[in-house]
Amino acid sequence: MFFRSPPWESVAFWALDLETGGLDVRRDPILAVGMVPVREGVVRLGEAYQSLVRPPGAASIGEKSIRAHQLLWGEVREAPPAAEVLSQVDARLRQGALLVHQAGIDVAFLRRAYAAAGLAWPRPPVVDTVELILKAARKARFLNPENPELPSLNLAVARREAGLPEYQAHDALTDAVATAELFLVLRRKIAARTLRDLR
Amino acid sequence: MAAIDPVAYLRATPPFDALPEEVFTSAARSLEIAFFPAGNRLVRKGGEPLRHLYVIRKGAVRLERDGQTLQLLEEGETFGYTSLISHEASMDVVVEDDLLAYRLPQAQFELLLAQARFAGHFAGELAERLKSSLEQSQVATFRADLSVEVQQLVRRPPVRVPEATTVGEAARVMREQHISSVLVDSEPVGIVTDRDFRNRVLAEGLGPDTPVTRVFTRGLKTVAAEAPIYEAWTMLIDSGVHHLPVVKGKEIVGVVTANDLLKATAQGPVAVLRRVEKLAGRDQLPGYGARVTEMTSALLAGGLDATVIAGFVARLNDALVHRILRWAEEQLGAPPCRYAWIVSGSEGRMEQTLLTDQDNALIYEDAGKGSEAWFRALAERANDDLEAAGFPRCPGGYMAREWHGPIGEWTERFRGWVADHGPQPLMRAAIFVDYRKVSGTLDLASFEAAIQRAGKDRLFLASLAKAALDARPPASLLLRLKGESSEVNLKAHGITPIVHLARCYGLEVGTDRRNTLERLDAAVRAGLMGPDARELVGGAFRFLLGLRLRLQLRAVADGRPVSNLVPLAELSALERSRLKDSFRAIKDWQEKASYHYRTDLF
Repeated sequence: MFFRSPPWESVAFWALDLETGGLDVRRDPILAVGMVPVREGVVRLGEAYQSLVRPPGAASIGEKSIRAHQLLWGEVREAPPAAEVLSQVDARLRQGALLVHQAGIDVAFLRRAYAAAGLAWPRPPVVDTVELILKAARKARFLNPENPELPSLNLAVARREAGLPEYQAHDALTDAVATAELFLVLRRKIAARTLRDLR
Repeated sequence: MAAIDPVAYLRATPPFDALPEEVFTSAARSLEIAFFPAGNRLVRKGGEPLRHLYVIRKGAVRLERDGQTLQLLEEGETFGYTSLISHEASMDVVVEDDLLAYRLPQAQFELLLAQARFAGHFAGELAERLKSSLEQSQVATFRADLSVEVQQLVRRPPVRVPEATTVGEAARVMREQHISSVLVDSEPVGIVTDRDFRNRVLAEGLGPDTPVTRVFTRGLKTVAAEAPIYEAWTMLIDSGVHHLPVVKGKEIVGVVTANDLLKATAQGPVAVLRRVEKLAGRDQLPGYGARVTEMTSALLAGGLDATVIAGFVARLNDALVHRILRWAEEQLGAPPCRYAWIVSGSEGRMEQTLLTDQDNALIYEDAGKGSEAWFRALAERANDDLEAAGFPRCPGGYMAREWHGPIGEWTERFRGWVADHGPQPLMRAAIFVDYRKVSGTLDLASFEAAIQRAGKDRLFLASLAKAALDARPPASLLLRLKGESSEVNLKAHGITPIVHLARCYGLEVGTDRRNTLERLDAAVRAGLMGPDARELVGGAFRFLLGLRLRLQLRAVADGRPVSNLVPLAELSALERSRLKDSFRAIKDWQEKASYHYRTDLF
């Protein structure tokens, strides 16, 4: 059966970034969530959502990640628990698509947290800006086979190459905004018209 | 949590920086981020107007009308407000470079218009924008004249209370009159100030019924009404009081406060002038330049216009020249005849802000023809002393040690340059047209007459105008202040075109003023220039002079060489936008002038 994919402007893309206690999906907790929607092709800062997440009592935050995020134990201790934050996240993901940079990591963390909280993963369409970078590079190579340059997948570098401003902060919300902006540039680059073109 | 980057960026961008915190925060909640690729036409003249106010974060847009580019807007600049205010699209907006913009919906913009400073930003046209940038940095009460008398600071007759008054009654009088001191009618007269109430009443545990005579001061330090301000200033510093009664004869005509003096004198020039007057010998000359730089810096920081500061610098340099020439005369003996020390170029126009190369010359009576050696010696000493004080030698050699001679020869030489029209003679004529007599007793009327005659020579004027129009803001800078041209030469591209053209107009209308702004005024009075153009060009000139001075002072502070080049990256978005406005004002004026002088016929 053939479903027509909706035009991209009609989809709400919720850009999301997580800060976690480490890179181990099985062990490390989510410490912060930042989300911002792209509606009708525009980033709506006013609808941005961000929250710290109180990790389960036993979990400890890895030293490295504390330094990377400048999050302190004291800050997250007062934060709402994961289940509460996830219900906020869930309400947003059900509006449309999930937009992340490096979907592999963040989606895995989210799904694990959902499961731990006894929630059902809403299975939103996932758009990954890393995939879009690769798509754009393939398109560029197709147009110009002489150009063997490998694209950079790092968010900050990819943004620089896309001509986007450099953001100093790297909290979850700033990175979500950064991802949303990069998405707008890449969407145009690959001339995607529908949600399917973006996946 | 700290504001995320886009919000912080918007906060720092005019006019959002002028909004009260709560108003801004509430508006920022409606902020959107949009991306448009190059070539995208955001709005078409006569079509649907824009529904948002846009602030460019990355990229550029072109404003067009009927295919003509009106303006190129870049990072930090706003657009969309003409649509929002007029509800119609009066021009095309085309994305020039991939555009990342922050934008606010119409409803939010309209709410913000209730804020006067925010609305004011959008209200005006070019001239208004230039003007408001200047007004913010103006100290309206400032007087550029160092010889102002103290009595001019007296705003009202003194308030007096009888000798039998209590402290409480005196305090009430002061409150009603909004003053910080009252005179007490005792013999001799006394004064009581708000400081006395603190130090001698409250701190001593006294009550409001205390007789005022118990806490007042008699045997007042006074200053004569005719005394120059700097004398009052010195008295305040030396005596440590804050209120100074001003006397005319035996009558107290008012009280000036330390605050009044601070506002009126900007102690800087006064202090430097006193030092110049007290210079004991040439070994004290080094350091003069540094002191002038410090003063300039303080005055600029105090919000004074660069053109006004330049007036101070000129007066101080003049006082220094007087001093230096007196020393030379003491050593060389009495002058063989009358002479005049003149300065030319920016010093002649009183537009020098930091010390630059010497531009001076010496003119003496024709009767002194046999005494060339004496004048040469005078010039050499003076040039050396000026160099010691911090004025570098002129690389082009326009210094009195080369340029001295009897007035008859001078005048002839000048006439020769005017008649020649070659590039070198033209440049020399232009330099000396800007002359100003600084010291000496020789009357220069015949030289001045030669300049006035030159102003009637159409061909000379046209050649001068053509040279003036050759110095123009580069076309690329009129639209773009980025890309290949990462630096702008403020002098070559901005200040020089204005100065040169103002000189043409000044000559043509026959004014004896040499200052660029005064020449413009003379051109307006003579009907050669419209008041609107005067406003624009004058505003551009003051802006450019101020911007250059600020950047040069920063270079001095960092120990870097002073230059006229500005890396655009060092300018704020507002300054870049003003710079473009200034260049546009110059270009428009040049177009009118090229028609006026028919330079197209060359």
